[in-house]
Amino acid sequence: MIDKKPLIEINKLVRKFGSFTALNGVSLNVYPGEVHALLGDNGAGKSTLIKVLSGIHSATDGIIKVDGEEVHFNSPREASDAGIGTVYQDLALNALTSVTRNFFLGREIKKGPGAFGIMQMNEMNEITIREMKKIGISIANPEQPVGTMSGGQRQTLAIARAIYFGAKILILDEPTSSLGQKQQMEVLKTVKRVKNLGNIAIILITHNEIHARLVADRFTFLSLGEVIGSGLSSELGGDDVKRLMAGGADIGDLAKELENVT
Amino acid sequence: MSSKSLNQPRKESDLYDAKKWYSAILARPEVGPVGVMLLLFGMLGYFSIPAGDFSLNPFSGEGFNALAIRNNLRVISQLGIVAIGAGLLIISGEFDLSIGSMIGFAGGVMAMILRWGFAVVIPYVSFEGGLHIETFTLFKITDVSPLLAICITLCFTLFFGWLQGFIIVKTGLASFIVTLGGLFFLRGLTEVCYRAFNKKPDQTAGSTTVTEIPDIKNIVNIPGHGELERDVAKNLPQEQLLELLKTVPEATVLKLTEKLTYINEKVAASKTLLLKSKGVKGLEKALENAIASGNEGMVATLQDKIANFKIDPATAKIVTDVDIAKAYIDTLHSARPVANFFGGDIMEPLFDWLYFTVDWNVNNYGNQFADGLYSCLMIWFLLALICYVLLSQTQAGNWIYSTGGNLNAAKANGVPTNKVKISLFMFSAFCATMFAACQVFETNTADTAKGNLKELEAIAAAVIGGVVLTGGFGTVVGIIVGAAIFGIAKEAFFYIPGVDGSFYRVFLGIVLLASALTNENIRKRVIGSV
Ligand SMILES: Nc1ncnc2c1ncn2[C@@H]1O[C@H](COP(=O)(O)OP(=O)(O)OP(=O)(O)O)[C@@H](O)[C@H]1O
Ligand SMILES: [Mg+2]
Repeated sequence: MIDKKPLIEINKLVRKFGSFTALNGVSLNVYPGEVHALLGDNGAGKSTLIKVLSGIHSATDGIIKVDGEEVHFNSPREASDAGIGTVYQDLALNALTSVTRNFFLGREIKKGPGAFGIMQMNEMNEITIREMKKIGISIANPEQPVGTMSGGQRQTLAIARAIYFGAKILILDEPTSSLGQKQQMEVLKTVKRVKNLGNIAIILITHNEIHARLVADRFTFLSLGEVIGSGLSSELGGDDVKRLMAGGADIGDLAKELENVT
Repeated sequence: MSSKSLNQPRKESDLYDAKKWYSAILARPEVGPVGVMLLLFGMLGYFSIPAGDFSLNPFSGEGFNALAIRNNLRVISQLGIVAIGAGLLIISGEFDLSIGSMIGFAGGVMAMILRWGFAVVIPYVSFEGGLHIETFTLFKITDVSPLLAICITLCFTLFFGWLQGFIIVKTGLASFIVTLGGLFFLRGLTEVCYRAFNKKPDQTAGSTTVTEIPDIKNIVNIPGHGELERDVAKNLPQEQLLELLKTVPEATVLKLTEKLTYINEKVAASKTLLLKSKGVKGLEKALENAIASGNEGMVATLQDKIANFKIDPATAKIVTDVDIAKAYIDTLHSARPVANFFGGDIMEPLFDWLYFTVDWNVNNYGNQFADGLYSCLMIWFLLALICYVLLSQTQAGNWIYSTGGNLNAAKANGVPTNKVKISLFMFSAFCATMFAACQVFETNTADTAKGNLKELEAIAAAVIGGVVLTGGFGTVVGIIVGAAIFGIAKEAFFYIPGVDGSFYRVFLGIVLLASALTNENIRKRVIGSV
């Protein structure tokens, strides 16, 4: 595993908002076929980091390399063209139209002049079913409105879409929050299947330690814009994870603090 | 603890009930509107059956005679044309309140260009002989062809559509307020233009109408005379008409003679029938009086008279050569196909067949009731067909739905949402222009009040047809049905005995509210929050 080349290398990344430094020299590498869990307290800078990676914010300083080549993104389009697929929490789905229409939204398969081309519905339906199945969800009817799907299915749809349209690096921002137990598991299964495809690097942002433990191969802990710890899943003990997730404070201290709250 | 056996893995698809054959139909959002439409059709049919007659066939009523159908379809299709533009725009999440004013504006521009021509005039300030404004005419075309007039008008209206859309997407202002501005602006501008161009030589204020436009769609090519309006041609001196007849092939003359003979006989027969029923009616009145007064001898004679009432059948008029020549002029094709396309009639062969062969398209006097249908029906149909394919089958359609359904999602997936919206504002203006073209070329007049309130009717028709005002939801079929409901409600209520015709508005108000509620329910069910 060590001799694998990282798909994305982030080196001493800095991002400032005016005088506020949200990211202060963050470095991490993500490898194909691996899930890299990005953990940290609220305000640690996780969302800021992925926004830089997906071209919404620009980096103030530091280097991002994709496949060994340095990149500078000026727009989300450029990032997605470079193979970075970000699945945001709102998933960017239109609940009122069908699964297929959402899967291909903005990139419809069509025959004819420009936007007036006729969509090849059958072909698109087939691809949608196939791609969703690849990562574990079989949908009975690709013409059903997305609004009627469960939260987990929607997440899978968004992930399948990102992969199908060429994402080599998949960024998932808190994919399990706001989901029920069963659906959380569904999403984790999906993540695992994507990982097993072998060629895709996944950055998983979560507040849930158990979820991270279940699927992640590597961990990076952020606190106040800096990396305060990282390592392979096998190297980290449970207490380490808890401590680092809380921003470095000992979990024992936290327990004491809680006792003092009246 | 009790739990279901989980030996057999359950699948998601098990959760769906097996579908009944009709459930797919009932699940379509157009079901409600179609139901209302059929109800109105029934009402129109049955209520328009003359009192005293009995029939199970709704089509035997006056509401469905050829002329009523012709007129109803005009109202429906004119509204339908603008409802499609308004509906697509609403599906994309925006509104256009300027449609009605746009109709007035487009009609005005078109009529003025047809009447006086088109010129580009540059005003400038002149100091010679005191400070005043001079004008410099860059170019002027008189005698503009219908096609060019429509194209020039489109330049103006599409520009206004674009401008409104541009302002809305760039400033983020609500389309309600921007297009409300457009409503006042365009109506005012139209009125000002009418007055300015109609100004009399003595500078008294002009009227707000344009008349005296030639009947362009009825200009025909008469051999030996050149282009003439049909009516003018028919009123040529007899010798000239007879001269014209000599150029007509024998077979055509025969056919026309046959048709005219048929018409004359038909008219004569109707006349006989009318006279007879008139005569009988008089006798029946007398009979009633006689019965009332108890004059039995009188009653008997009157009854006898009624039973044996006879009248000399009216004789059919002889078909003259002049008649044939006039009929021939009627068969000539328009020399102005564009004007005829918008303002003329369609399906004349069908309506001829209905008169000559089916014997249905006949009025009380034995003449043909309707010559055909107004061509705005065809324009509505074409627009609807194109938009149906566009919205349901094309990439653009998916973009329209997603722009209205979830703007941010559409943007995140690279849909050019601003372009989508601006294009639809332009399309709405285009539809208004088509409406105006139909009106101008059909009636050969225009005035400022044209299209008044049409924007609200168009929105109402779209909503009745299942379009959700917040966007993202609706179909072209629904919009078509919505327009039909709107148009037919008025007629249907007109015929209900003892009910004020204006109740149709009350009815439409209720239908509108009910539709909005249903639409919202369907939408919620689709997004899974019910
Ligand atoms: N556009 C911005 N302008 C100014 N400050 C910002 C901006 N975006 C983020 N920040 C700040 O940067 C810091 C990191 O924010 P970020 O959203 O990355 O945290 P996070 O790790 O995603 O937290 P959470 O777990 O709550 O999502 C916060 O203090 C936040 O206030
Ligand atoms: Mg965050």
